Amino acid sequence: MANLLWLQGGACSGNTMSFLNAEEPSACDLVTDFGINVLWQPSLGLELGDEVKAIVEKCISGEIKLDIFVFEGTVINAPNGTGEWNRFCGRPMKDWVKELSAAADFVVAIGDCATWGGIPATAPNPSDSEGLQFLKREKGGALGAGFTAKSGLPVINIPGCPAHPDWVTQILVAVATGRAGDLTLDEFQRPRTFFSSFTQTGCTRNMHFAYKVSTTAFGQRKGCLFYDLGCRGPMTHSPCNRILWNRHSSKTRAGMPCLGCTEPEFPFYDLAPGTVFKTQTMMGVPKDMPEGVDKKGYIKLTAAAKGAAPAWAEEDIFVV
Amino acid sequence: MADKRKEPLSEAQRQAYLDRYGLTPAEASYDILIRMIEDMFADGLKTEVEPLPETDREFGRLLDELRPLSADQLREKLIISGWLLEPYGEEQMRCQECMYYLVHKRWCDLPELDLPAKPDWWCRLWRI
Repeated sequence: MANLLWLQGGACSGNTMSFLNAEEPSACDLVTDFGINVLWQPSLGLELGDEVKAIVEKCISGEIKLDIFVFEGTVINAPNGTGEWNRFCGRPMKDWVKELSAAADFVVAIGDCATWGGIPATAPNPSDSEGLQFLKREKGGALGAGFTAKSGLPVINIPGCPAHPDWVTQILVAVATGRAGDLTLDEFQRPRTFFSSFTQTGCTRNMHFAYKVSTTAFGQRKGCLFYDLGCRGPMTHSPCNRILWNRHSSKTRAGMPCLGCTEPEFPFYDLAPGTVFKTQTMMGVPKDMPEGVDKKGYIKLTAAAKGAAPAWAEEDIFVV
Repeated sequence: MADKRKEPLSEAQRQAYLDRYGLTPAEASYDILIRMIEDMFADGLKTEVEPLPETDREFGRLLDELRPLSADQLREKLIISGWLLEPYGEEQMRCQECMYYLVHKRWCDLPELDLPAKPDWWCRLWRI
């Protein structure tokens, strides 16, 4: 039996909604098959007010062993570093977060807000938000760069806006069943099992990427979304086209550009006008290249690919 | 003051197309459109090659200018896009490598242009 407590800070509840849609395993499977005891969760907990406060206080005191502390949403520091804009059970949430993190064996940050600040931390960041151990790309965050939970692991970051439900439940199962030692984390503390490949890996538009045929308007089923519509699939670490959403689709499969929501800079360019759904270029050449590709190589590749492109690459091949 | 380039095709322009080709650009086939474009340049058409859109906002402003134009406003499309019948610049940029160019259809797929093009042509909306 592993006790799990889930709290929300500066959040939209999107990650909770995502979690409740999990299938492999489902949220119910966590309880029935994998021995996770959900002490409290904002959308599932029956307790209210002082009853919740009692649970949280017992976790901090050790009266209840806290195996896994899950946090969703940003840690809010405004105004003036007090955190008073986000109070929970009579105190700033940021204070609960610090004490619960110190008491837990494992701390798991779910979604961009909890991992590195996400949309609330976008400039000018009015709520003075940060993630548990990062603020965007900078390590530190609410718990500090050196924080490790009792298990010895730093915060396990599962980013996304929202995180895919199965990323969440599979990591919780690994932790709850004593297989946390199998987890390896990347430089942003994301489990490598999910975040080593790219969103582009498994994308059904890869052949259009290869032959440099662009989607030029939303809804087109031919073409690659990278060249014109701002898709960040080639530089975003996620398994969105390997572990499909709702088991059968993904943004790019549905014709929607990847927004790069598993990377610390999300939302990119601080949502400045003209930067969303538009590939940023300088004199016609993309500013953000596919990872590991330089400008010179990209230009050479383009010339070769366009020259070799077959006729079918220009057609809508997904005809019903 | 209204931008004359964006005014719809005048009756005189329409008649000129009809006299020369028997139809207007909106009705023209691929080959006739190519001929119309080449004839305009042979007749001395100068397009707005510069300034080049260095940023996406500048690029977007050109698209905003092009978007309201009808298929008959071929001349205006060519002027605003800075169309040329030859490669451009030291790097010899040309349609062939442009992201919007369909090499087999020999067609510019940028919705705001949507025109036939030869591989060695170029315009300032070029991107890769």
